Amino acid sequence: MSDTPIKKLNFKELASQLLPEGASFDSCLTCGLCSSGCPASGLENMDPRKFIRMAMLGMDEELSKTPWVWMCTQCKRCQHVCPMDIDIAQLVFAARSNWPKELKPSGIVRSCELTRSTSSTSAMGLPPEDFVFVVQDVLEEVRELQPQFKDMVAPMDKKGAFFFVNQNSREPMSEPDEMVPLWKIFNLVGADWTYSSKGWAAENFCMFSGDEEAWHQVIQQRVDAVNELGCRVWLNTECGHSYYTMWNAINRFGMEADFELANLVTYYARWIREGKLPVNADWNTAGLKFTVQDPCQIVRKAYGDEIAEDMRFVTKSLVGEENFIDMQPNRSANYCCGGGGGFLQAGMTDQRRIYGRRKFDQIAATGARYVLTPCHNCHSQMEDIGDHYGGGYHVVHFWTLICLSLGILGENERAYLGPELAALGL
Amino acid sequence: MSTQANPRQDNAELKVLETEVLIIGGGLTGAGIMRDLSLRGIRCLLIDKHDLCAGASGGNHGLLHSGARYVANDLRAAVECRQESDILKQLAPQCIENTGALFVGVEDDDPGFGAQFPARCASAGIACEELSPAEARTMEPHLTEKIHTALLLPDATVDPFRLALENVAQAQLSSSSAYRPHTEVLSFRISHGTIDAAICRDNRTGDLLDIRAHQVVNAGGAWAMNIARIAGCSDVNLLYSKGTLLISHDRLTDRVIHRLRPPGDGDILVPGGTVSVLGTTSIRVDELDSIVPTVEEVNTNIREGSAMVPALVHARYIRAFSRVRPLLQPGAEASDREVTRGYALLDHRSQLTNFCTITGGKLTTYRLMAERASDLVAERLSNTVGCKTRELPMQDGEACRWTEPGASPKYWFQANNPDDSILCECEMVPQSAIDEIIKCAPSGGEEMTLEGIALRSRVGKGPCQGSFCGMRIASYLYDRGYYRDKTGLDHMRKFFNERFKGLRPIIWGRQMAQMELSEALHCGLLGLDQANNMDESAE
Amino acid sequence: MKQNTRHIDTDLTIIGSGLAGVAASSFALRRNIRTAQAGNTGALAYTTGYFDLLGSLTGGSGASISDPWEGIRRLRESEPLHPLARIAEDDIRASFEEFITFLAECGITYGKPGDRNLDALTPGGTLKKTLSVPATMQAGVDAFARKAQCIIIDFKGLKGFSSRQIVANLKTDWPQLRHERISFPEIDQAEIYPEVLARALEVPANRAKLAEVVKGLATDAEAIGMPAVFGIHAPDRVMADLQDRIGRPIFEIPTMPPSVPGIRLRELFEQVFPQKGLTLIPQQKVVSTDLQANTIQLDLKDNYGPIHISSRAVILATGRFISGGLEAHMERITEPLFGLPVTQPASRDLWYRHQYMDNLGHDVHRAGIEVDEQFRPLDRDGKVVHHGLFGAGILLAHQDWIRGRCGAGIAVATAYKAVQAALSVLQPAAA
Repeated sequence: MSDTPIKKLNFKELASQLLPEGASFDSCLTCGLCSSGCPASGLENMDPRKFIRMAMLGMDEELSKTPWVWMCTQCKRCQHVCPMDIDIAQLVFAARSNWPKELKPSGIVRSCELTRSTSSTSAMGLPPEDFVFVVQDVLEEVRELQPQFKDMVAPMDKKGAFFFVNQNSREPMSEPDEMVPLWKIFNLVGADWTYSSKGWAAENFCMFSGDEEAWHQVIQQRVDAVNELGCRVWLNTECGHSYYTMWNAINRFGMEADFELANLVTYYARWIREGKLPVNADWNTAGLKFTVQDPCQIVRKAYGDEIAEDMRFVTKSLVGEENFIDMQPNRSANYCCGGGGGFLQAGMTDQRRIYGRRKFDQIAATGARYVLTPCHNCHSQMEDIGDHYGGGYHVVHFWTLICLSLGILGENERAYLGPELAALGL
Repeated sequence: MSTQANPRQDNAELKVLETEVLIIGGGLTGAGIMRDLSLRGIRCLLIDKHDLCAGASGGNHGLLHSGARYVANDLRAAVECRQESDILKQLAPQCIENTGALFVGVEDDDPGFGAQFPARCASAGIACEELSPAEARTMEPHLTEKIHTALLLPDATVDPFRLALENVAQAQLSSSSAYRPHTEVLSFRISHGTIDAAICRDNRTGDLLDIRAHQVVNAGGAWAMNIARIAGCSDVNLLYSKGTLLISHDRLTDRVIHRLRPPGDGDILVPGGTVSVLGTTSIRVDELDSIVPTVEEVNTNIREGSAMVPALVHARYIRAFSRVRPLLQPGAEASDREVTRGYALLDHRSQLTNFCTITGGKLTTYRLMAERASDLVAERLSNTVGCKTRELPMQDGEACRWTEPGASPKYWFQANNPDDSILCECEMVPQSAIDEIIKCAPSGGEEMTLEGIALRSRVGKGPCQGSFCGMRIASYLYDRGYYRDKTGLDHMRKFFNERFKGLRPIIWGRQMAQMELSEALHCGLLGLDQANNMDESAE
Repeated sequence: MKQNTRHIDTDLTIIGSGLAGVAASSFALRRNIRTAQAGNTGALAYTTGYFDLLGSLTGGSGASISDPWEGIRRLRESEPLHPLARIAEDDIRASFEEFITFLAECGITYGKPGDRNLDALTPGGTLKKTLSVPATMQAGVDAFARKAQCIIIDFKGLKGFSSRQIVANLKTDWPQLRHERISFPEIDQAEIYPEVLARALEVPANRAKLAEVVKGLATDAEAIGMPAVFGIHAPDRVMADLQDRIGRPIFEIPTMPPSVPGIRLRELFEQVFPQKGLTLIPQQKVVSTDLQANTIQLDLKDNYGPIHISSRAVILATGRFISGGLEAHMERITEPLFGLPVTQPASRDLWYRHQYMDNLGHDVHRAGIEVDEQFRPLDRDGKVVHHGLFGAGILLAHQDWIRGRCGAGIAVATAYKAVQAALSVLQPAAA
């Protein structure tokens, strides 16, 4: 790190510019509900109320410099519980933007740079040709080894497909077999879908790095890719911030997008209701308990409770109503796990785990053996705090459980299942 | 023998206190005299029936006049202000923010008044720079577009509470001088034209005190006439002018904004650290106590002030306050704004040998007033050391630093001690500040009230106006064993009552939500409205 | 990409998620009315959890009263326009009973409302008259009544709650009371919030650790008090388990905001209502309305975009200033959503008396909207504004919920009446 100084922002002015009248910092009753309900309270001696008050008291220098802005995941829970509807996350974004690149957490910056390094927009820097290769390679293997799926397809750059499916880089990069359950599901429901060799990736750490221009550019590449293929629906797979960064950017930057945005959870629920995914809980003879984690990025910050309901419907269909235990609080009021906002990539492990303690307690209180979540960052964080605090639970993707329930989950597609499910239905 | 009736001595035994000089009145003048005399090696006791700056010293906009405001009608006062503000800027920078000021003529303000202004400033030696309206609005974006004249002047702002605290703290250090709040003079014991003692009451305990001093200084401000009369002196004649000001939640301008016209209502907006103070209405009153700001005065200030700064109409206000300014009785008929802002030092020598009164004047010239009074007292005590306050910088006293807006969170943030909990969340005052203030509490023994703590810090100055922190601090003090019984509840009730006086006329908009929540907590939850009334009288 | 407006078509919409709003929703659900609810929590977020019916008669000495029912009978004489004075005693009792039954079904048990007010403890060490307290607070009421040997425990780092303060103020009446301070097990932060502790206690392992510490301190206590932290979503269960582990009665004392009881209620309703089929738009305010012949049209938005509600009936339960049901301007008080006339003092100077703690209370609290006997808001001419529009809660004029200690009573009883009246519009046959 160099000695580049951090420019001083005028937070009070920013608040009056960025926040709507009547819900700006001067409406604060200083009641503390925001801080009480924030897992980042106490880190760096900060909390949301202190952030507001320091802004009002002109402590611009301190606020401009505090690393707390990288520990606040911008999950907007403070706003959700605020009787005055004050949005603090926007100012945190402004503070992040203001940090010189060389002082920002390098993990986030690097991820953003990698995203922009290829037309894949992959935060792991996976180039289009490699992605195409991996998909092809894995597909061939499945067709070969799982005769049931000898005709399965994973279309690439198919013009006019209904769904443009995005993909978190983690799978093609490091656990390619995890893509297979998803393909199986598409195959089973007869979806007209395609991957794209360009703009296929889900992640977007440019937003978390506070680099608005880069964020815009990455989304532009993705929007162009969808427009180019002429797809009707951009389907976000199980990755929370992917959806939010795309949806928010299109509105924020006023982009031309000739397609709809949708989340896979919505379609899981629809396909189950329509009978296209005939899942059931018969496999769960042991009565294994499940809970779900509502990703802030698609629930509180975007769709609201509607998608949370879908998530519960899917879960109950998969594991049995009696085997589902909700975390408390949940849906729009759920706690951020601490994996969001780039926290996982920021290198602040101790703080991230302290933040995650609340999530850990929430999971522990359910007594659930499995946590389902349609978000990669939630997934990683909950696994990490589970290990760290001794949770003994497993975190799984929906696609894994759907295929498990349908009896079509392959042997190599079970990385996240516990021993009791490692061989079930094989 | 005593010329005054002895106070009731009932069962109370008079506690005797001795000092060289008794100073009555804990305003800035009294505090300044205490420091001045102490620096000459003279031991003082400063008393106030309330606490420091309870009168006009605390109830003003905190403007350190360049003198410009007086150039139109009182050149002498203007020059004094210029000289004194220069001294204070140099010697007490910790109490001062060098904001500068804009004098603005708007709409139909007489351009002639503005036209003469620079020349008048020049004759008082005050630097005055003419700006274009556009320049002025660049400097202060909240200014109205309707400016036709703008002048830049070297006014500044001053924190009168800190200034008083620093004066007292330094006096206590330089000699064994002491300060005693809540101590009210009831009578004087006088023999052969000399005051032997002041009979006082401790308003907290009700105890009577017999305070013996060689010299007695009446620095009672607006109360000076009453105090002089207790001593049998009828040569102090004051008029009382009530002024009302209000405080916005935000600081609206960087500089002081004056209306460039003859003084009137709502013609000054003064930044006070993190807030702005809008003033001032002026009405003649006959009495001094139970002075509270009214809805009408608040409305007048906002209406007039918004001609300079339109944002004042929609600003969130967190408090209004009033004070009575003592004005020396003029010879001829004149409005209160025109009667002299000068001060008077009366030696009362035709009646008493060791009593003097200093009153009138203004915050900016408090040091000069203290110097003059101290010169007289020193001469009477045959002390030849001479005044040191013209050269000696104001040292930072212990526990004096907490009144500065935005300062306590800075100290707290730097210290980075997570165990040091913030008790006042609005102004971010940590418990360590409360500890320090209590450690340096004036007058031994008696527990400090929440008001006393608030006076010495930013506690209760933010948007919640003490409604949350009053509860948290009381809890903290119970925890420390400092509050031990129901008097702690009483401290809370009094603190909230006191804060309410300043809230009452400005409760609308966002402050209404705040107030509704406060009352729900104080009355609905804690039942403080019924604390003396818990019995079943309605049964 | 277009943002599509989501349309909700429903029979009844309740605007406001404070106590009146949630009570109305519970009554509507019980009557199988197709219901939607929007609006923020407002003052409910700051509640003690105590349900007051009437704790004091305002307009007189301000002294507290022990028999709220007698108090209401007296209100009918002295303040006939008071919302509680306009509702039959049977209806008030039925409303409390039904609401408390609903809450118990959802996991928060309240004591059965009786004929007399209880003396409940406050964090200041004072007492509050209230009709019903959550089961988690009941043992404190009982312990005070018996002046039992008792210990109050507080937690290091929890600001604004001092067991020493409570004891200092109650010791003359309750000599057998003592205090202790402990560190909450496994909490690293120096500054802690009740909510955090309550969440922690949802985990059995954390309860075990706390019980271990408390047990050691309270060897001779007949009951043990703590700040209100016995879990958020299952307080009865958390308390029962903790009590078992400690081996003696325990109870909660409310804390100052941000406090657990309000969060508990908010999360409870956000949880339960959707499960029971209500369409909930949590924490979002309705921004505009349109009264049509047979429906009322409402518009609002959430993070995802615009929402339009078409509803045959609406209950306006938007509360007062904290939640924005009323707005105080420099000149007057308004009802911003429907522009209903607000009965109010003639000028701002009359809103507040000069003394904050004046026993008469402040007239600004008596401002509010006028309703007819069906709880339908009235216009300036005293005519019903819309046959499908009803008003409930502390938005109504002629009451001082703060000083009267009657906020919950007004909320629950008027919600009950408003739902009854709405039902008669929606299902004329049923009513």
